Amino acid sequence: MSTQIQASARDIDGPLLELKDVTTHFKTPRGVVRAVDGVSFTLDRGKALGIVGESGSGKTILSRSIMGLLPPRGTIRGGSIKFEGREIGNLDRKAMRSVWGKEMAMIFQDPMTSLNPVMKIGRQIAEPLQIHLGMTKQNALATAERLLQDVRIPEAKRRLEQYPHEMSGGMRQRVMIAIALACGPTALFADEPTTALDVTVQAQILDLLGEQRRDRNMSLVLVTHDLGVVAGHTDEIAVMYGGKLVEKASTKGLFANMKMPYTEALLNSIPKLEDRSHTRLSAIAGRPPDLVNPPKGCRFAPRCPYAAEKCINEEPPLIATAEDPNHLYACWYPVGSEAYHEAKVRIAASKHATDALAAAGGN
Amino acid sequence: MTTTIDPSTTTPEPAAPATALPAPRGKQRKLKWPGFGLVSAVVFLGGLTLMAIFADYLSFIPYPDALIPGPDGRPGRYEWGPSWTAWFGTDGVSNDVFSKTIYGARTSLQVGVFATVFGIVVGGVLGVIAGYFRGWVDRVVMIITDCLLALPALLLAIILVNRLSDLAEDTSWLGWLSRKWTIVFTLGILATAPLARIVRAQTLSLREREFVLAARSLGAKPGRVMFREILPNLIPAILTVAFTGLSILIAAEGALAFLGLGVEVGTPTWGKLIDENRNKIDEFWWATIFPCMMLFLTVLSFNIIGDRLGRRFDIRQAGV
Repeated sequence: MSTQIQASARDIDGPLLELKDVTTHFKTPRGVVRAVDGVSFTLDRGKALGIVGESGSGKTILSRSIMGLLPPRGTIRGGSIKFEGREIGNLDRKAMRSVWGKEMAMIFQDPMTSLNPVMKIGRQIAEPLQIHLGMTKQNALATAERLLQDVRIPEAKRRLEQYPHEMSGGMRQRVMIAIALACGPTALFADEPTTALDVTVQAQILDLLGEQRRDRNMSLVLVTHDLGVVAGHTDEIAVMYGGKLVEKASTKGLFANMKMPYTEALLNSIPKLEDRSHTRLSAIAGRPPDLVNPPKGCRFAPRCPYAAEKCINEEPPLIATAEDPNHLYACWYPVGSEAYHEAKVRIAASKHATDALAAAGGN
Repeated sequence: MTTTIDPSTTTPEPAAPATALPAPRGKQRKLKWPGFGLVSAVVFLGGLTLMAIFADYLSFIPYPDALIPGPDGRPGRYEWGPSWTAWFGTDGVSNDVFSKTIYGARTSLQVGVFATVFGIVVGGVLGVIAGYFRGWVDRVVMIITDCLLALPALLLAIILVNRLSDLAEDTSWLGWLSRKWTIVFTLGILATAPLARIVRAQTLSLREREFVLAARSLGAKPGRVMFREILPNLIPAILTVAFTGLSILIAAEGALAFLGLGVEVGTPTWGKLIDENRNKIDEFWWATIFPCMMLFLTVLSFNIIGDRLGRRFDIRQAGV
């Protein structure tokens, strides 16, 4: 019955995921935390979107809002989330259960804690198959074995009988991916899937995710704080700051022509191999904004070296660049504008002055 | 991440094959025998349980109502002290105290185990539900357990035993509720509150773990999450509390019997043995002291095992 309704309401041609002005606020004793504050974007089928931002920028909350995985108590949700043309933003848990696993699945940050320590790997993969797809136990276990092979786990059959603690972190994350892929979701959310892993394993996991996405024509939402992670593995990038979308573009477009000083600062904060040793890491000064009382104007203004009077008082709208209608940004004086260059020269001059002063003091 | 909760890690590591190189020192230490206390506790409880179960078939245990003849060939009051004829001596009705102690273990252990099982099932389910759903469900369960814990346990037990006995007498369909089961239910209800609280506390921390979120994100229903994902992780905590609780309940059964709220007449329990003979402790100490010793050693053994499990699973510091 419900599957019929789903099928008829399904919009095959439109975008897979369509967010309009999504807000997620939490009631706390201190006041309302505006964790996600008016985010809109669309995601096409089979595409990979990277959501980038530092801790507290709302990227995890946004992905969990889309999945409907937030605790209902104290959470105020607004806006519209359409999945395959169907509104899912207002569905309760019961209704979402048919979406979870089969339509959307999620991979979590820490593979050490996201697997049940007292359940065998095989059963953890097979259970959703038995329940959602009505497979018999034998079929489910055979499928589980195939899934483990898909995620490049050697000796898959033997692994089915093992417990999570018998595997390494990278292995466990592969198992987690296998579990998430089990019921063939059309959208996969990966919330910092590689943060807990070391760098070589990180690359393998990201490659694996990309490969599975192409094989299954699945959309992927990759949530991370690391621009380096999304650079090679996504089609589009959305940069979040203080619960808002501040820049969104195709991956190529963003790296070629970033508009938002925050995006630029994020990129600059990645240490570069060609830098001389002991080069000071360029961090973004200050702290993320307090989301109970966010700044009045641009939320990045208090930390932005190029901020002017206007930035502090007026909130910049999300607008498209002149060259590319799909490149959106929210900034009054974007990177490359005249005001930006003037500010840059000014900053360089004052830095030069302080350096000279410090040098003089040193003598 | 504590891997200590894995049941598979709790099973002792298989001994290295004989051909293997000698293990490094640290490894050998791990494979060392568990402490003397633990071994004696397990051996004592195992032996006692086996004797209690097979008492009818063991030739060295007379029937508890068999009259033991005295040195003059006729049974009498307290004829024997500890001797080869009667290891623990004889009591006021000329029965063998050792036999009565073993048959008493039958009832005492049964009451303790059944009451603990009742407490685990009811308390465990209540605790998991309260911890998982929180909100008003949690509040109701907590109020009930708080009430149970606020009343003095012995007072509550006396009231409950009397009420349940009256109820069993007055209600025809409760005819099966013998005195023994009345005591099992009473002690079980007493055991429910602490178990519910501990299970709830552990559930509260477990439900925030990512594997629970992962299960939910795959569409698992609350019942499944509670009983397939969370409950297996609670087993170490429940076991630990159960062993310590078992010793308390066995002692409580003794206390109730001592107060005259024992099981049916004719069925020996430790509490009843102590109660029957305590007036004569000056002259015929064996009839009281041996059952006391048995009770003491049993409680001690369960405590040692419970303690050991608690340390093994790190229950006290546990985020599990």
